[in-house]
Amino acid sequence: MKHIKTIKTRDLCESAKNGGCGECQTSCQSACKTSCGIANQSCENSKK
Amino acid sequence: MIHQYKLNGYNIVMDVCSGAVHSVDDIAYDAIELYESTPKDELCALLSQKYGVSEDEINECYEQIEELRQSGQLFTPDKYENMAPELKKRTSGVIKALCLHVSHACNLVCAYCFAGQGRYHGKSALMSFETGKRALDFLIENSGTRKNLEVDFFGGEPLLNFDVVKRLVEYARSVEKEHNKNFRFTLTTNGMLIDDEVIDFCNREMSNVVLSLDGRKEIHDRYRVDAKGNGSYDVIVPKFQKLVAARGGKSYYMRGTFTHANPDFLSDIKEMLDLGFTELSMEPVVCAPDSPDALTEEDKPVVFEQYEELAKLLIQRRREGRPFTFYHYMINLEGGPCIYKRISGCGSGTEYMAVTPAGDLYPCHQFVGEEKFRLGDIWNGVDNKEIQDEFEACNVYAREECRSCWARLYCSGGCAANAYHATGSVKGVYKYGCELFKKRIECAVMAEVERLDNDDSDS
Repeated sequence: MKHIKTIKTRDLCESAKNGGCGECQTSCQSACKTSCGIANQSCENSKK
Repeated sequence: MIHQYKLNGYNIVMDVCSGAVHSVDDIAYDAIELYESTPKDELCALLSQKYGVSEDEINECYEQIEELRQSGQLFTPDKYENMAPELKKRTSGVIKALCLHVSHACNLVCAYCFAGQGRYHGKSALMSFETGKRALDFLIENSGTRKNLEVDFFGGEPLLNFDVVKRLVEYARSVEKEHNKNFRFTLTTNGMLIDDEVIDFCNREMSNVVLSLDGRKEIHDRYRVDAKGNGSYDVIVPKFQKLVAARGGKSYYMRGTFTHANPDFLSDIKEMLDLGFTELSMEPVVCAPDSPDALTEEDKPVVFEQYEELAKLLIQRRREGRPFTFYHYMINLEGGPCIYKRISGCGSGTEYMAVTPAGDLYPCHQFVGEEKFRLGDIWNGVDNKEIQDEFEACNVYAREECRSCWARLYCSGGCAANAYHATGSVKGVYKYGCELFKKRIECAVMAEVERLDNDDSDS
């Protein structure tokens, strides 16, 4: 019996290899302006 | 490090350092909780008794946990801390976003405004075209190889200086190709001056518009009033509806603020939905702790419950084919930010800066008017290296409290301005904000797990 269902997620350890292009949106330019939300940004790296 | 919680019938386990998320049954939930502290035999016996199943069954579950640990999806050790300053360096050294304060004046006098009714504790001022143009040139000059450049027209009320906004966009469009740049403009407005021309312009040029609406009329009009004390709700709502209807699917957010006056902010979200808006953001107020508007300890359980109910409403409406977006529940588990971004945070003072009407540079819009945080100006660049270094060094591991927090790679250490205002240091921790943030992430992940679960059962 399967007790654990693993959701498909980005491997953060792997992202250290090709990440850091900086093209993604600045968090405060979207809708908050008063808090820091990073996880809801999308990656814009074309080489990931 | 892992974080596990139960919410809305889901048992969720987050593996902090790999970013993995697991939806588990009760046996696995307990087994994962005991895994690091309890020998295998003891764990199997304990859970076999608790759940009335064979030890073989528990053993099978244990092996699944082992597999995930070995494949780097559970109990992944933190390898980032020593890399953090180096990782942050990779995303700094260039400026990619400006908050352009085209107007330090406002046609509303909202009592809770962090910007001091738009004047940022200074004099009313409008940015000239020449200053704005120089700010755009400054951004291009300092953006290195970054292609996407973001400029938010902010205030005060930016539409009080609409002519300059239009001319600046026109200027940016005329030079972006030759510099191999792509300007993404946003505008944050209280809506009072929206007319057909503004609507056409925004829908043509703004990749996103942020429209300030607090929800229920009595809540909105409590704070968002003109100089004579008249509420703005009746003026702005039809304008917002017209703008959104004409937007043709382009991005927008209705952005509200909730305070001690409405910790039951779900009613305000529902009001926004009833008005036909579906892209929503609702932020806890930012103000001095002794302000009557500040959220209190007594408000906290109410706010937590509202966040949970909001997540359930989001799921319910999605199932009914009437989805809406809540900004803080957007979470891209598969295509989200890389580890560099998660460690670096919002980039305030390094890749993101605010420009005042006079052309002064500040680490972000929330520091404008705090003289000691003035970084320099758009003609001579950053000369206050001491302050910039402080922001440069602001990574998620620079804060003691964050190092052991499960949410650190989701909030990236939080908002420097909130930290400063709560503790007097940009490297401090605004604990109240942290607690709200953690609750939001739990809700967001649960709602996403539910969506994926439903997608699976549909296919």
